Amino acid sequence: MFGEALLIAIWAFIAGIDLFDGLTHIHRPLVTGLVVGLILGDLQTGLITGATLELVWMGMVPLAGAQPPNVVIGGIIGCAFAILTQQDPKLAVGVAVPFAVAVQGAITLMFTIFSPIMHKADIYAENADTKAIARINYMGMLFLGLFYALIAFLPIYYGADLAKSVVSSLPQWFIGGLSVAGGMMPAIGFAMLLKIMYKREYAMFLITGFILATYLKLPLLAVAIIAVCVAGYDYYINKNNTDKPAKREVRSHGI
Amino acid sequence: MESNIETYQDPSTDKVITKKELNRMVWRSLFLQASFNYERMQACGWLYSMIPALEKIHKNKQDLAKSMKMHMEFFNTHPFLVTFIMGIVAAMEENKEDQETIRGIKVATMGPLGGIGDAMFWLTALPITAGIGASLAIDGNILGPIIFLVLFNIIHFGLRFGLMSYGYNTGVRAMQSLKENTKYVSRAANIVGLTVIGALIASYISLKIPLVVTAGQAKVALQADVLDKVLPNMLPFGYTILMYYLLNKNFSPVKLILVTVIIGIVGKLVGFL
Repeated sequence: MFGEALLIAIWAFIAGIDLFDGLTHIHRPLVTGLVVGLILGDLQTGLITGATLELVWMGMVPLAGAQPPNVVIGGIIGCAFAILTQQDPKLAVGVAVPFAVAVQGAITLMFTIFSPIMHKADIYAENADTKAIARINYMGMLFLGLFYALIAFLPIYYGADLAKSVVSSLPQWFIGGLSVAGGMMPAIGFAMLLKIMYKREYAMFLITGFILATYLKLPLLAVAIIAVCVAGYDYYINKNNTDKPAKREVRSHGI
Repeated sequence: MESNIETYQDPSTDKVITKKELNRMVWRSLFLQASFNYERMQACGWLYSMIPALEKIHKNKQDLAKSMKMHMEFFNTHPFLVTFIMGIVAAMEENKEDQETIRGIKVATMGPLGGIGDAMFWLTALPITAGIGASLAIDGNILGPIIFLVLFNIIHFGLRFGLMSYGYNTGVRAMQSLKENTKYVSRAANIVGLTVIGALIASYISLKIPLVVTAGQAKVALQADVLDKVLPNMLPFGYTILMYYLLNKNFSPVKLILVTVIIGIVGKLVGFL
């Protein structure tokens, strides 16, 4: 079992990185089903379970940046469970989803932990140290990949049943609370942009954008096009106003 | 002039970006979210992806540092369509636009592209290609996953490379006509940027109170019956303003992130969130 668990952990390493970086979508359950099926020697069950999980996760995509239940771990645990226990692939969904929700919570924590490292990156940027910036990104991927490898290895090595009872003993308010916090997080990023860009004379544009999206439910592209129209109007008004005094000056020289 | 603070020492605007730099940026753009975090989101990965162009453009080390520092600011967009913004920004950097304008363009484009990308990939390309693959694999056909990967990545890499050169060429053309009026262009970019931030606040932050208050016979759902009647999305807006206020009071972003995590967990525990 150690050998197989290790191979699956390596696949989790690769697929986990692909979820955020690379995005070739080898991390989808459809592909994981094929790979886990090959590793565990049951291609048919792997393919069928992978396809079943793929359909479950089709709607669970990171819309508007909100993290859905983790598709990598869900796919790997679900397929491995179906093959190892020879259960109906549909049952695999019930096993995969709690794991995926727990990992989603853990990822929220990881994005929080990565935040202080950005101040290190600021210093590298100020020194124009391009190699150090690259290193931070490589380390980030390595760290994320190892995390996935570990999460995939443990339940397969120790058995899905034991792992399931550990996951279900995690308190709901903790995992749910992390996902609530994840939904609020973009506010901090937007506030940081406001700190850089906001001036009193632009306040009405901020409010206009908010109202267009809130009451008229306009998509962002529509809001941006309206903003471009307003900005274009403003641009030509300003340009013409500065052109005129220049002309007057020329005339006065003439007289 | 006030904009002097944000302009570069070396004013030369030679065309130094070639196909080679653009291609290297496309490959690097795959790692846009390598160091993703709640404080800057994709900023560090964005900087990493821009480095091939920045190194070629800013021979002067101080200019390079200045540019890199600006690109470490908060950034978040759709990871597939990002190369379009990269192309435009590379053209702007090459033309030594002032940083305020570059920042304005980045913010103005990242939001709409995020929405377009969601619709294009998560709601169209992925369901169609994965649907075809899954329909084969569910019968045990090994071609399912393979067809899915081939179809999906033709679209994926086609767009990545296509949008990079399209973005760069658009940027170069736009710069030629806009260079003389930098001050007004930067003001216009700021207007679009702030309008988009307003819309982002309304669409990308989820904060709702599921609490239902029972007063005798009457049940009042706090979110639907009270808050939404006053001003929908007032909580996301209020929370952003609170964060902005605290940032100006010199609270560090990391502290605000931790506060947000605690609010989320405690809020869930007492059933308020």
